[in-house]
Amino acid sequence: MSDFDIGKPVRKVDNDIKLSGQAKYIADFHIDGMLYARTVRADCPRGIIKRIDIPVLPEGYFSVTADDIPGKNIIKFLADDWPFLAKDRVNYFGEAILLIVGPDRAKLLELAGRVYIEYEMIPAILTIKDALSNNFTPIFGSDNKFASYNYEKGDVDRGFSAAFKVVREKYSTGYQKQAYLENQGMIAVPENDGKISVYGSMQCPYYVKNALVQALAVGEEKVRIVQAFTGGGFGGKEDYPSLLAGHAAFAALKTRRPVAVLYEREEDTAYTPRRHPAEVTLETALDREGRILGMKADIKLNGGAYAGISEVVLQRSIYNICGVYNIENLRVTGAAVATNTVPNGAFRGFGAPQVIFAIEMHMESLAKIFSYDVLDYKKRHMAKQGDRTATNGLFYDEIKLPEMIEKAQEVSFYTSKRAAYQADPELHKGIGISLFLHGCGFTGSGERDIIKAQLKLRRKKDSKRVEIFAANVDMGQGLQTTFRKIAASVLDISVADVIFAYPDTDRVPDSGPTVASRSIMIVGRLLQKAAERLKKRWQENNDIEIIQDYEAPERIKWKGGESSGDAYPAYSWGVNVVEVEIDPLTCETSVTGAWSVFDIGQPIDEMIVEGQIQGGMFQGLGYAAMEVMANDENGRSRQNNLTNYTIPTAMDFAPIENHLMKTYYEDGPFGAKGAGELTLLGAAPAYASAVAQAMNIHIAKLPVTPEYIMREASENE
Amino acid sequence: MVESFFPDNLEKALELRQKKEIRPIAGGTDLMVRWRRPAGILPAFSGDMLFTKNIAEMNILQKKDTCLYIGANTTLAQLIEWKWTPRLLRLALLEMAAPAVRNVGTIAGNICNASPAGDTLPPLYALDAVVCLQGAAGIRELPVSSFITGPGRTVLKRDELLIGIKLFFPAPDNDMVFYKKVAVRRAAAIAKVSLAMRGSKKNGYVKTIAVAIGAVGPTVVRLPEIERLAEGKTVLNAELLKTIYGEYDKFIQPIDDVRSTADYRRQTARNLLHHVYDNCIKWN
Amino acid sequence: MSEIKFLLNGGNISVNIDPTMRLLDVLRDILGLTGPKEGCGEGECGACSVLVDHKLVNSCIMPAGNVAGHEVLTIEGFSGEMRYKKLADAFAGAGAVQCGFCTPGMILAAEALLNKVPHPDESQIRRAISGNLCRCTGYNMIVQAIRTAAREGAGLW
Repeated sequence: MSDFDIGKPVRKVDNDIKLSGQAKYIADFHIDGMLYARTVRADCPRGIIKRIDIPVLPEGYFSVTADDIPGKNIIKFLADDWPFLAKDRVNYFGEAILLIVGPDRAKLLELAGRVYIEYEMIPAILTIKDALSNNFTPIFGSDNKFASYNYEKGDVDRGFSAAFKVVREKYSTGYQKQAYLENQGMIAVPENDGKISVYGSMQCPYYVKNALVQALAVGEEKVRIVQAFTGGGFGGKEDYPSLLAGHAAFAALKTRRPVAVLYEREEDTAYTPRRHPAEVTLETALDREGRILGMKADIKLNGGAYAGISEVVLQRSIYNICGVYNIENLRVTGAAVATNTVPNGAFRGFGAPQVIFAIEMHMESLAKIFSYDVLDYKKRHMAKQGDRTATNGLFYDEIKLPEMIEKAQEVSFYTSKRAAYQADPELHKGIGISLFLHGCGFTGSGERDIIKAQLKLRRKKDSKRVEIFAANVDMGQGLQTTFRKIAASVLDISVADVIFAYPDTDRVPDSGPTVASRSIMIVGRLLQKAAERLKKRWQENNDIEIIQDYEAPERIKWKGGESSGDAYPAYSWGVNVVEVEIDPLTCETSVTGAWSVFDIGQPIDEMIVEGQIQGGMFQGLGYAAMEVMANDENGRSRQNNLTNYTIPTAMDFAPIENHLMKTYYEDGPFGAKGAGELTLLGAAPAYASAVAQAMNIHIAKLPVTPEYIMREASENE
Repeated sequence: MVESFFPDNLEKALELRQKKEIRPIAGGTDLMVRWRRPAGILPAFSGDMLFTKNIAEMNILQKKDTCLYIGANTTLAQLIEWKWTPRLLRLALLEMAAPAVRNVGTIAGNICNASPAGDTLPPLYALDAVVCLQGAAGIRELPVSSFITGPGRTVLKRDELLIGIKLFFPAPDNDMVFYKKVAVRRAAAIAKVSLAMRGSKKNGYVKTIAVAIGAVGPTVVRLPEIERLAEGKTVLNAELLKTIYGEYDKFIQPIDDVRSTADYRRQTARNLLHHVYDNCIKWN
Repeated sequence: MSEIKFLLNGGNISVNIDPTMRLLDVLRDILGLTGPKEGCGEGECGACSVLVDHKLVNSCIMPAGNVAGHEVLTIEGFSGEMRYKKLADAFAGAGAVQCGFCTPGMILAAEALLNKVPHPDESQIRRAISGNLCRCTGYNMIVQAIRTAAREGAGLW
C-alpha cells in the first residue's frame, strides 16, 4: 500500500450507528429488574456529620452508606483522601453522603428529600487566598497543599541583578466545565459468581477497574468494566467515573440487582470536576532592549476539596509556563491548594490553558512596555530546535513556528489588520495572535514508570480479520476509526477487516487511559509496531497473538524529583489568530474571524483532526469569552445547568479556518503527534489580545466577559 | 393526583376556572421547565392543569381594521411568520430562545410568565399592547403594563384566562424601531438587559417616542410622561437630556444575579437609552 | 391518567398516561425509543429533539398531552427516509459526527429547516440549529454538512 495516504479521510466507522440514533449510551440501556440510585449530598461546604436520619424505606428500597463499602472507602487516585461516600465529615457542598436505591425514580426523589443530616459546621475555605491564609484548619496535610513544586533553570538571581527593568504581573483564570452533552452515568450488574460488571460513560476503563478492586476488596477477576458509547469527555470522564462506578457497584452488591446511577444535568454541572481556576504571577527581568534576562513564575491552582489528579494538572501548568519561549533563567514555584469546593480534575489542556494565557498576555505587556510590535517581540524570544525547555529538556524535533506564523499572517491578514485597528480606535476592532505548544502524552516518566501500556493484536486461524485489544476509548474523537486505520494501513487490509470493540477489561489489556493526547501518539505507536510484527507472520496459518509493550524512547531523560529533563517526549505546536469587533454600547464581542495553523505531525485522518481543531478552538473561545462559573458563599456552584452555564451555540463565532503544517515525529505512528488538547490552548490568549486592542485595555483575567470589559474600559477613562 | 383537562371551547374552559384551582398551560415551555424534575418523573405541578391547545377562541390570529388580534395559543414561530406582526416585535421574536422553543412557546405564555427579562415584553410595552382577559364577569382589556405587577405576578384573576393580545395596526408611528437584547450568547439566552424603542418624526420634530427597557427592575421600565418631554422637539438640549435620563435612572434598578451584574446592567441600559434618544433626534 | 393518541413514526399509537408526562419519557421509557436523548431536561440543548407536525420541538419540555392528535417523528422513524440518507451521507462526508449525542437531534433540526427552506444560506442554517448544542464539533462541519445535503438532495425537500 505504498501510495496509501494515512491522512486521507475515510468514513468514520461509527457514523451510521450514531446518526440513526441506534448507538446505546448508558442511559439508553434497558436491563430487566434494574434499580435506580439517587445521591444524597452535603448541603454545607464543610462539617462533621453528627447524625444521619434516613426515613423508613418501603419494601424494595434501600439505602447505601459508607458502611456498605466492602473495601477501602477511598477512590484510588494519587492521594488517599477522597471517599466514595462521606462518612464522618464533608468537605464540599454537594459531596455524596449516601444513596437511596429502588425501582421508582419519583419515589427515590421523595425519599432522598426526607433524609436528614445534621452537621457541626467548620469554617470553610473557599478561595485560594483562604487556602493559604493560616486562618483555617487545613483540609489537606499541614500546609493545605495537595502538591507544591519549585524548580530552577539557569541563574535567575544573576538575571534579575542585571535587570534594567523588572515587570511583575498577575493573571487569573476561572472554572470551565467540560459540558459534554451526555451526562455521567454508570450501571453496575451483579453476576452470579460474586463478580460485578459495570457499564458506563468513561475515558479510562482501567482507572475504574482499579478503583473498584480496591473499594470492593476483591480480586481483579471479579471486576469487569465495559465502556458504553460515550457522549463526550474532554477530561471530565477521566477521574469521576471511578466514583460513580463505585456507587453503582456498592448498590448493586447490596441489592443483588442491576443499579443505574445516571446523573441529570444539574448534578453533573454542579458536582463533578471542572477545570482548575488559577492565579499566575509572572515577574520578568529585562535589559535595556527588552530582552528577557530571567523570569520568576508562581502558579496557584484551586484543587477543590480532594487531591484527585490536581498534582498532575499542576505539573503541566508549571512545565508549560514558558509557552513557546526560550527563557534561559527561570524559577518556578507552584502549588495546588485545597478548598471546600468541588474537586477539580481534567479538562482538555490540563493545566496548560491557564499558563499559556498568562505567558502570552505577559509577553504582550512586555512588548508594549518597550514599544515593540507584539509579534516581533514574541518571535525574538521563540524557542528553536536544540534549545532547552522550561525544565532544561531538549527541543529535539524541528520547530516550524516561523513558517506557521507566516502562514497565519498570510491567511488572516493579521499584520495589516493589527495596524489598521490600532490606527483607528473608534472602529472598536482588534486582532490577536497566540503562539503555543503542548507536550504530548503523560508528563515526565509517567508512561514508562506508571502506565506501562500494553496492547494486543490478534488474527485467528483462517481469518483475514484482525482484532485490536486496547483500553482506549472513543468518546467522539474518532479513535474507533483512527486505530483501525493504523492497523489496516500497516497490514494492507481494509478498515472493515479490523475489529476494535468498545473496551471491556475482561478482554483488553491495560493500554492506559484515554487522556493527555496520548492515544494516537503512544498507543497508536504500539498498535503500529504490533501490526508490523503481525505482518511479518501474516503467512502463518495459526491463531496469531501479538503483545506489544511500551518502550520509552532512549533519548528521553527525566528526573522527576528535580523537575529536570524532558517533561514530554514531543511537542505539538499552534498559532491562532482571532479577530473581534466590540459594540461599545454593550461591550459585547463578535468574533469576526478565527484562523489557525497547527503542527501535530502527520494527521492520521485529516477530517478527524479538523474536527478536533474546530471543536477544541471553539471550546477555547467559550473559555475565553462566555463560560462563566463561580461559587456562592457556600462554595456551591452558581451555575448548575446549560441555561446558566452557557456554552457557545452555532451562532456565536465565525467559522474557523485551519491549516496544518505537516511534520514527521519519529516515535509516533506514521509520524503522528498528539492533537486533542493543543487545539484548545491558543484561542483564549488570541481572543484576549484582540479584545485588548479593540478597547485599549489590559486583560488579566479569563473569561473576558462584557462585564469585565466594561469595567476595565471605564477605569481607563 | 394532578388532573388534566382539554376543553375545546372557551365556555368550558372558563367553567373549569370558576369551579376549581386549575392552572392554564399552553406550549409548556416555561411551566415544564419551572416544575421539571429529573428524567422519568412527572413535573411537580401542584394542582390540576388546563391545556389550552384545543380552545378554538384562543387560536384566532387576525387583522381587523387597525387592530391585530393575537389569540393566546399563537406560537412565537407563527408570529415571526405572520405578515402583520409589527417589526419591533418580530425583531425580539427572532432573538428569542431557539427554533424548537419558538415552535411551541406562546406570546401569551411569555406575558403570563411575567419575567422582568421576558423577551417579548419590551416590544409589547413599547407598542402599547393590550391583553384581553375573560372570566365569569366578562371580558376586560388592560394595557400589558398594568397587567404585569412584578416578577411572576399579574392581575389575572383566579377565574380568568388571558385569551388574546391586541396591537394597533399600523402600530402608531412605527417608522423607526430599535431593538437590542444583551445576552451572553446569540441564541438560547436570557436577556441581561433589553431595550425596545419605536418613534416617529414629522417635519424634523419628534412626534412620538416609546422606549421600554427589560431586566433592569421588577417590571419592564417605560415612562410615557418622560417620553413626552422629547416630543415636539428638534433638539434635546443638555439640560433636558439630564432631566430625562435622571428620571430613567430612578427606575433602572437592576440586580446582580447568575447572568450579570447590577453595574453592567445599569451602564448598558444607560448606554442604550442614550443611544436611542440621540438617534431619534439625529434620525431623519 | 388519560388515553393519548397520536401518530408516531407513521403508525397510530395510544398510551395511557398522565398528560403532563414529558414526551421524552413517553418515547424513551414507555415506547423504548432511545434516539431522542436527555442532555439538559429543560429545552436548552436540543438532544431530545423530535418533530411534531414537521416542526422541531424539545420533547423534554413537551407535555405529552399536547401531542394528542398530532404527528410525532423521531430519528427512528426518520432514518428510514431518503432525506435521512442524504443528510446522513452529508454529515459523514463533512466529519460532522463526533460523540454522536447531539447528532439525532441535529439531523432532525436540519430536516425541519430543509422542509421549510430547501436552499438555506449559512445564517439560516446556524439559526436553525441554534438550539441544538454540540460540544465536540464547533458546529462548522455540521453547517457544511447541511449545506451539502441541501445541494445534493435538491428535489427531496
